[in-house]
Amino acid sequence: MSDARVEQQQPASGAALLVLVGLGIAFALLVALLAAAKAHTGPIYGEANMLYAALVLYTGAATLYMGYGVTGIERYVSAASLLTALGFAANTAAVAHRWSVAGRPPFSNMYEMLLSFVWTLALLTLIAERAYKVKIIGSITMPITVVSVILMQLLPSDVRPLVPALQSTWLQVHVTLAMLSYAACAVSFALAMMFLIQDNMKTEAFQAITATGMICVYAGMLFTRFRSGSLAVTAYDLEGKTEVMISRGHPLFIQIPDLGWLYLLILLSAAVPLVLYIAGQVKKDSSLFDIASKGMFVTILLQVAGLAIFVARVKNGLYSSPEADGQFATSLPANPFLLAGIVGGIVAGLLYLLLLWRREGLQKMMPPADVLDRVTYKIICIAFPLLTLMIAAGAYWANQAWGSYWSWDPKETWAAITWLVYAGYLHMRITRGWKGRRAAWFAILGFAVVIFTFFGVTYLLPGLHAYAAG
Amino acid sequence: MGLKSIWTKIYQTLASVRTGIFLIIVVGIFSAVGTVILQRPTSEPEDMAHAYSVETLMWLDRLGLTDIFHAWWFLVLLCLFCTCLIFVSVDRWPNAWKVYAHPVRFATAPFRASLPQTVKLAVKDGAGALSLTESVLSGFGFKPERVTENGDTGIFAERQRFSVFAVYLVHLSLLCIFTGYIVDGIVGYRGNIRVPEGQASGQITLRDNRGGESKKTLPFLIRCDGAGEETYADGSPKKWWSKLALIEGGKEVATKTIVVNDPFVYNGIRIYQSSMGQSSTPKTLTFEAIPANGGSPETVEVPLSGKAVLADGESLSILRWVPDYYVQDNEVYQKSEDPENPAVQLGLTSAGGETRKLWILYSQGNSTKGQQAPYQFALKHATWSKFTGLEVSHQPGQFGIWTGVVLMAFGLVIAFYTQHMRLWAAILDDGKGGKLLWVGGTTNKNRDRFQAKFEQIKTALQKSSGAATNPKTEENTLTKA
Repeated sequence: MSDARVEQQQPASGAALLVLVGLGIAFALLVALLAAAKAHTGPIYGEANMLYAALVLYTGAATLYMGYGVTGIERYVSAASLLTALGFAANTAAVAHRWSVAGRPPFSNMYEMLLSFVWTLALLTLIAERAYKVKIIGSITMPITVVSVILMQLLPSDVRPLVPALQSTWLQVHVTLAMLSYAACAVSFALAMMFLIQDNMKTEAFQAITATGMICVYAGMLFTRFRSGSLAVTAYDLEGKTEVMISRGHPLFIQIPDLGWLYLLILLSAAVPLVLYIAGQVKKDSSLFDIASKGMFVTILLQVAGLAIFVARVKNGLYSSPEADGQFATSLPANPFLLAGIVGGIVAGLLYLLLLWRREGLQKMMPPADVLDRVTYKIICIAFPLLTLMIAAGAYWANQAWGSYWSWDPKETWAAITWLVYAGYLHMRITRGWKGRRAAWFAILGFAVVIFTFFGVTYLLPGLHAYAAG
Repeated sequence: MGLKSIWTKIYQTLASVRTGIFLIIVVGIFSAVGTVILQRPTSEPEDMAHAYSVETLMWLDRLGLTDIFHAWWFLVLLCLFCTCLIFVSVDRWPNAWKVYAHPVRFATAPFRASLPQTVKLAVKDGAGALSLTESVLSGFGFKPERVTENGDTGIFAERQRFSVFAVYLVHLSLLCIFTGYIVDGIVGYRGNIRVPEGQASGQITLRDNRGGESKKTLPFLIRCDGAGEETYADGSPKKWWSKLALIEGGKEVATKTIVVNDPFVYNGIRIYQSSMGQSSTPKTLTFEAIPANGGSPETVEVPLSGKAVLADGESLSILRWVPDYYVQDNEVYQKSEDPENPAVQLGLTSAGGETRKLWILYSQGNSTKGQQAPYQFALKHATWSKFTGLEVSHQPGQFGIWTGVVLMAFGLVIAFYTQHMRLWAAILDDGKGGKLLWVGGTTNKNRDRFQAKFEQIKTALQKSSGAATNPKTEENTLTKA
């Protein structure tokens, strides 16, 4: 068996990664325990500590799953799924603690929804691994949980009492269904990705897609936040721990000089591999693909630098705004959208590198392509009814709260678009026999729309509206 | 090329899944555009002007992109989509009905060849093998029946036949939802009303899609008997409530205390709690009364519609209340609704029944000084009545929406979690004088699950007729069966 052969080849590095990840986790947890004991921030089993533990464990699991992807060592998977299970337990404790403190299920803001989403995604990963024997799925879903938990650390997490409109059982039904269906969509996305790898998708094609994703992320950021060379960020009152508002619903944007140019440079550097790929396709010149591959390294490095500079400049320094007098500070928590975009771009780059380094072995580790194709379809058969009921429960709640079941607000409209995309997938698959590659692309498109509905509508569209002219 | 062929062409185009998918994509793209470009009824004109230049805005308006979701062409798109749904369903219905009502019960040779799953087992006794198959299939939840054609006997068995209708149920549910939505768009309305505590009103303000306002009179009056707000410790609102009574034809016909998320429904009209505030009409006004003859000043609180009695028996009432006044040609006029600079006309009635009218102009001395009266009054304080902000909506089409939702839930469950499995069995000659038990089957979806089921059935049949190599046990089994 090929797996056994690989294991025999690299027994030493296998143990090394396990030990390293184990030590890393032990160290991180120790640091956390010391910090918790020092700061008296609540009981040791409290939400913040448990979430931190979940983050550490999920990160370890993600590393091991990806390590399995690169080396093909079976042992990593059992360790990774143990870590996932432990992380899931800590995550459950965090949810339970928040639930008991708030006296209601954690569904009312972005932080709480992410908490529930991560919980569901970890659960589904464990289920997919056991029930469908898709071991490698964690190498895609666990990084998503890690990015989500990091994002949660930056979002306002204080337990807020519910305003009257949110006091509804239907809202809770609505959000539960949303989390379940979105997590199922995430799993179908991971399976579709694996299908494409199994289906011998060319590395350069994956590279072109990764580059396109990065271009979309940076174009989105620059389109809403580029101000003649500067990058607009939300001003943050560090003492009051609130965003600075000009008027109700209109936060103050301050400008970090020159950062806009850097991000434009990153956008261009991500565009280079894509252009080279297209040129290589047109001219049928594969030497261009090699240059494109080097270009990918450059853009990933630039993005890491971009993240470091972004964090450094956000943390230190006061910036001005044309909309108000004086200098203002900002903070990472006030700019979750920008941060998520930058980190998302880097994670996509890492996934690409993973594929680049390990191609043949990876295919042998994964279930056969037709199994992946079928399981993707089955997961979407679970996600779609949940999505439908989620929209219906939301409409029913809106009708109870505002007297209108459908008012075409952006979130509603994008939920409907998500529904249409998956409806399209099901029709193409059932009536026109779309299987395999085309169906996988459709599933990936579906998840992209889900992500946009979840984050983009909240962070991107308002930004687009409020300051398009500014 | 007559009308008929044009109609056929249109029908064929609209009855294809390809057209349906195309329409889904077009609707999806325009919906997405509608979330990126600011939309008219919800965005304030100032925000629109802030976001777009005058020229851009003019073009967006001209192209109908500032109110996509209420534009006639978007409605036409949705109607086309509905038509497509209907035609697609009508086109495919006869086939589904045939499978449901007139299933192929007997497997002829060409039909047998067309089935994806088949198995042949050598048996000795044809009739016994059929009985055996019947009992095995019953064990798997099928209801086998004997069918005879041209003297040959076979078995037909099926499960979850209704599953062929799932897709029609889902399409029908979408039509229900669209119909409900269109009905609401035509005959439904939605508006808001502010009712001050203790008062009644029946006129709601409707906002049309162009941002204009119009009034509509409800068939009843809404009286607010009380309203209140509870807040959390941090000051954010916890609960808004209003005690409402509906008055129709001068009679109180219904009462309810509503809160957010719990509307008042009366004759298809729904009343929602949407906001809470202070009205510009005071509940009571408090005055300082200084006797003209030099006695000690007295404080008196007068209800807006009522009177208060002063120490010497004269009674004080409020004749006019102007929240924000100006004076022109010696007359008091109202400038705005905001109680910024009020003017009050007082009526001071002596024990003898003689009434003096006195004016207090707040920004002009706030006193009745200089007007002849036994007292000099000054406005000191006011208590305000609350008003409740209500949203009133009439959506007769929502019945269609919720019916559609329930139908769709059933439809999707049937579509994804049931499948129509069909099995046939027959006794064939193996060409060497022996008998073969032939079993074949097919399903309408989820082939791998059916395949697994078929394998189980095959194993069960083999187990029972594994006796083929051992005739004695086989005979025993068959006689039992």
